[in-house]
Amino acid sequence: MAAVAPARRRKRRSLPIGRILLLGFFLVFVLWPLYWMFNTSIKPSDDYLTVPPVWFPAEPTLVHYEAALFTYRGLDGLINSLIISLSATVLSALFGTLMAYSLARYNTGGRHLSFWVLSQRFLPPIGIVLPVFLIYRGVGLYDTHIGLIIAYTVFTLPVSVWMMFAYFRGMPKSMEEAALVDGCTRWEAFWRVAVPLAAPGIVAAAVFAFIACWTEFFFALILTSRTAFTLPTVFRAFIGFQGAQYGEAAALAIVSLVPSIALGVLAQRHLVRGLTLGAVRG
Amino acid sequence: MLRALGSQHLAEPLSSLLDTPMQPTATIHRLKAAGAPPRLSAFAQRADRHFKWLLVAPAVLLILALSIYPLLFSLVVSFINYDFQVPGHAFVGLKNFERVVFDPVARWSLLLTAWLSGISVAIEFVLGLLVALTMVRSFPGRGVIMSILIVPLFISPVIVGQAWTLLLQRPFGPTNYILTQLLGQEVTIGWMTERPWLYVSLIIADVWQWTPFMFVILLAGLTAIPPNLYEAAELDGVNAWQVFWAITLPHLGPMMLLALTFRLLDAIRMFDTIFIMTGGGPGTQTYTASYYLYTVGFTQFHLSQATAGSWLFLIFTALIVALLVRRLLKVDPV
Amino acid sequence: MAEVRITGLHKRYGAFHAVRGIDLHIRDGEFTVLVGPSGCGKSTLLRTIAGLEESSQGTIEIGGEVVNDFRPRDRDVAMVFQDYALYPHMSVAKNIGFGLKARKMPKPEVEMRVAEAARMLGITPLLGRFPRQLSGGQRQRVAIGRAIVRNPRIFLFDEPLSNLDAQLRDEMRGEIKRLHQDIATTMIYVTHDQIEAMTLADRIVLMRDGLIEQQGAPLELFERPASTFVAGFLGSPRMSFLPGTLALEGSTAAIRLADALLPLAPGRGLQDVADGQKVLLGLRPEHLTRAHTATPAQGTFRYEATIDLLQPTGSRSYATFRLAGAPVMAELQAHDVSRPGEKLAIDINMKRASIFDATTERAL
Ligand SMILES: Nc1ncnc2c1ncn2[C@@H]1O[C@H](COP(=O)(O)OP(=O)(O)O)[C@@H](O)[C@H]1O
Ligand SMILES: [Mg+2]
Repeated sequence: MAAVAPARRRKRRSLPIGRILLLGFFLVFVLWPLYWMFNTSIKPSDDYLTVPPVWFPAEPTLVHYEAALFTYRGLDGLINSLIISLSATVLSALFGTLMAYSLARYNTGGRHLSFWVLSQRFLPPIGIVLPVFLIYRGVGLYDTHIGLIIAYTVFTLPVSVWMMFAYFRGMPKSMEEAALVDGCTRWEAFWRVAVPLAAPGIVAAAVFAFIACWTEFFFALILTSRTAFTLPTVFRAFIGFQGAQYGEAAALAIVSLVPSIALGVLAQRHLVRGLTLGAVRG
Repeated sequence: MLRALGSQHLAEPLSSLLDTPMQPTATIHRLKAAGAPPRLSAFAQRADRHFKWLLVAPAVLLILALSIYPLLFSLVVSFINYDFQVPGHAFVGLKNFERVVFDPVARWSLLLTAWLSGISVAIEFVLGLLVALTMVRSFPGRGVIMSILIVPLFISPVIVGQAWTLLLQRPFGPTNYILTQLLGQEVTIGWMTERPWLYVSLIIADVWQWTPFMFVILLAGLTAIPPNLYEAAELDGVNAWQVFWAITLPHLGPMMLLALTFRLLDAIRMFDTIFIMTGGGPGTQTYTASYYLYTVGFTQFHLSQATAGSWLFLIFTALIVALLVRRLLKVDPV
Repeated sequence: MAEVRITGLHKRYGAFHAVRGIDLHIRDGEFTVLVGPSGCGKSTLLRTIAGLEESSQGTIEIGGEVVNDFRPRDRDVAMVFQDYALYPHMSVAKNIGFGLKARKMPKPEVEMRVAEAARMLGITPLLGRFPRQLSGGQRQRVAIGRAIVRNPRIFLFDEPLSNLDAQLRDEMRGEIKRLHQDIATTMIYVTHDQIEAMTLADRIVLMRDGLIEQQGAPLELFERPASTFVAGFLGSPRMSFLPGTLALEGSTAAIRLADALLPLAPGRGLQDVADGQKVLLGLRPEHLTRAHTATPAQGTFRYEATIDLLQPTGSRSYATFRLAGAPVMAELQAHDVSRPGEKLAIDINMKRASIFDATTERAL
C-alpha cells in the first residue's frame, strides 16, 4: 500500500463539501500546534503576553534557539540522543533481523518464542523501569550511555523482530535454498542472500526503532541524570516556570522534531507495518 | 548491501532487453568438476548445526537480562521491604500490595487511567475512521495531506505536551483569546488547572498525537476492501449509509479490533504528557496509574510499594495481551 | 557423475506423511523423471535428495556414500528451481559464479569458467545484467549455467519449465534434453506434465500419494501400465476405461461389455483370473481406427459407432462415441470423419488394449 495506502484506483474526483470541511478542520487541528510552536520559538520574549497574541513576530529572532541549545544544554541532549538512538537502532535492527530470520525460516521455538517476544512490546514500562533502575545503580550503568543504549535496544527489539519476521515470511525462500545447494553454509545463505534482499525491510525497521528511541522519555527520565540525559528530558527544565522559557522550550522542540519527522515521512510506505508489528501488510 | 540494490538494476530499460533474440546453445561439454566446497572447521560445523539458536541468542539474552530478570527481581522486591525511608530488607509478605490496594490515590489513578484512555481512544477511533473515509478515494493533493496527517506519530509525547501547553496555558496561550473572539463573550478557562478542563486538555493532546494511528491502520483496512463490492452496491443503487453498514464495517472489523487493542494498550501507559502538562496536579487530580507508581517510587522512594503496584498493573495488562493480541496476530507456526 | 540409491525413504511433516517409503536406484548418467499429480511428494523427494529437507527415515546414497547427514553444500549437487531462484541483487555473471566463489576458487578461474559456461549457453551478452532484466527463457538458461559451471555430480530440476509460455517451454525442453545428451550427468527431474516426462526421461518414476506407483522406460509405462492410475496419467487424450466382465472359455478369453463380446488376442497371458471377474478395459484413442477393410484384421474388434462429439485438431480428429454405454475416444484421421451423428465402423486393436481388475485397478 504505497503512501501508507494507495488511493483506490478510480476516477479522481473532487471531494464533496462535507469531506472537504472535515479534512480541512483536521488539517488545521494537526498543523496549528506545530505552527504556534514554531511561532513561539522565533518570537521575541516581549511579544509573549500581548493581547491579541502576536500571530507572526515582526522581528523574528534566534535567541531562543541559542539559549535552548547552550544555556539549557539542549545541544548536549541532542548529541546524547543521537549517540544513544543510533547505537540502539543499529543493535536492535541487527539482533532483530537475526532473530526474525530464525523464527521465519526455522520456526525456532515454535509459536511460543515469537509470542513471548511480542508480549514484551506490551509490557508497561513502569513495571520494568523500577527494577532496572535498582539494577543499574548496582552495576554502575545508571546515567551512562551504554545503560540507556541497552535499555533502548531491548525496548525496540519486539518491534524490530516482528517487522522483520513478517518481512522474511513474505520473501520466497528458494533463493536461500539455491545458495545452500550452491555451497553456502546457513550463515552465508543468510548473510549473502537473505539480508541483501531484505535490506529495504531492515532499513524500515531501523527507521521505526530510531524514531521510538528518539522520542522516548520515560526510561531516559529515570535511568539518566546529568551525563547521559537525552533531548526529551531537557524539557523538564521548562516545567513550571510560568512562561519565562516558552521560547526556549519551543525552539528545542522544533530542533528535536526535525529528524524524526523527516525519517518518518520518508518511511511512510512502511508505516502500517511499523504500527502493527507487521500484522498488516503495508 | 544497499549498493547492490541500487541503480544498476535499472541501468537499461527493460523493453529493449526482452526482445534480444536468444542465441541457440552451443554444444555443451563438461567443465572440470568443482567438487564440494572446502570442509568446514569444527567450529563452523557446530555453528551451522546450531544456527537457528545462535541467531535468536543475542535478542533472547538481552530480553532476558533487561526484561525478565528485572521483572523477577521486582517480584522479590515487592515482597520485601525495599524502601529508602525504612532501613533493612525484611520479608513483609503482602504488605506492599495491601498498601497499594488500600491507597485511595491508587484507586483514583487506576480509575482515571481507565476513563482518560477510554475516552481518548474512543475519540481517536471515531475521528480516525472519519478521516480515513475521506481519504480512501484518490484526489489531488492526497499524497501531501497524507504526509502532514501522520506527522504527530513521529513526535515525542513530551513535545506534544509542550506544544499544547504553549497553546493552552494562561496567560500566554492564545486559545482563550481565540474562543473569546469566536464566541463573542469573554472566555477565561484555566486549561491546565481547573476541572474538568485539565482532563479535556490531556485528552486533546492524546487525540492530537494518536488519531493518525487509527487513521493509518483503518485506511489500510479500507483500501484492502475489494472495490468491486462498492461498484456492485453502486449499481444496486444502495445509499451511502447502507454501503457503510453492509460492506465497510464488516470488512473493517478485524482491523478495527487490532487498532483499538494496540492503541488501548499504549494509552493506559499515559505518562509523558501528564508529566509535562500538569505534573499530576493540581494535587493528585491528574494521577494516572503510571504517574502514581512513578511518584510513589521516585519521589517518595517507597520502592517496594511501587513495584508491588506495578506488578498488579502488569497482570492487568497481561490479561488483555493474552486475550486479545494473541488472537489478533494469529501467531501460527510457519 | 554419480548413481543415487534411495532405500526405505519416509518424510513426515508433523502428522502428515508426505513420502511413504520410497526405494529407488538411479544409475549413473541416467535421466530420471519423477512425475505424478500435484501434491504426491515429488518435490519433497527431490528436496530430500538435495538435503533441503531432512528425511524422517531411510537412507540416501550418492556415489556410494550415505549422505543423510550431509549439508546441501557438501552433497555436490545442483538444483534448478521452478522460479529459478536467481539472486536478484547479483549480475548474471555473479549468479553463475556464486557457487564457485563459495568454494573459494581463485578469481581468474571463476571468471574463466563463467565465461565458458556463458558461451556454451549463448548468454555471454547478458553477463552484466541483473535477473530482473532477463526474459523467462534467459533466466532459465542462467539457472542452468549456475549448475553446469560447477559440473556437479547430479542435476536436480524442480518443474523448471512450468513458468514459461507454451512455445518457450517446448524449446527449453529440447535444450534440456540436449544438455543431457551432451554432458550425460545424472539428472533427476520433477514435473507434473506427462509430456515432459515422456519426452525427457530415460526412466519415468510415477508417484502417487508418496509412493512409487510404477517405474520404467517411458514406452514401457505407456504400453504396459501397471494400474489404471498410470494408464490414465500418461497419454493425452486420456485412456478410456470401459467396465465389463471377463469371459473365459477353454483357451480363449474375451471381455463382455453389456451385449458386446470383445475377444482377446490369443496368447495374451492373463494370470490368476476367473470367469465372470469384473474388469476395466483400457483403450487409448490411438488403439481405435476407422475400418477400411471388409473384415476386421486378426486381433481387432469391429464396432458400428455413432459419433457423439467431434474435436478436430487439424490433421486428426478426436471422436467420442458410446460403447456399451461408456464413452470412448478414438483418434481418427481428419478425413475419416466429418460430423457428429455420423455412423462409422471402428476397429479396436485388442492387442494393445489394457485390462485391469475392476476393484484393485491393477493390470491383469
Ligand atoms: N513444509 C511442509 N510442511 C507441511 N507439509 C508440506 C510441506 N511441504 C510439502 N508439504 C506437503 O507434502 C505434500 C507433498 O508436497 P510436494 O512434495 O511439494 O508435492 P509435489 O508432488 O506437488 O511436488 C503436499 O501435500 C504438501 O502439502
Ligand atoms: Mg512440487
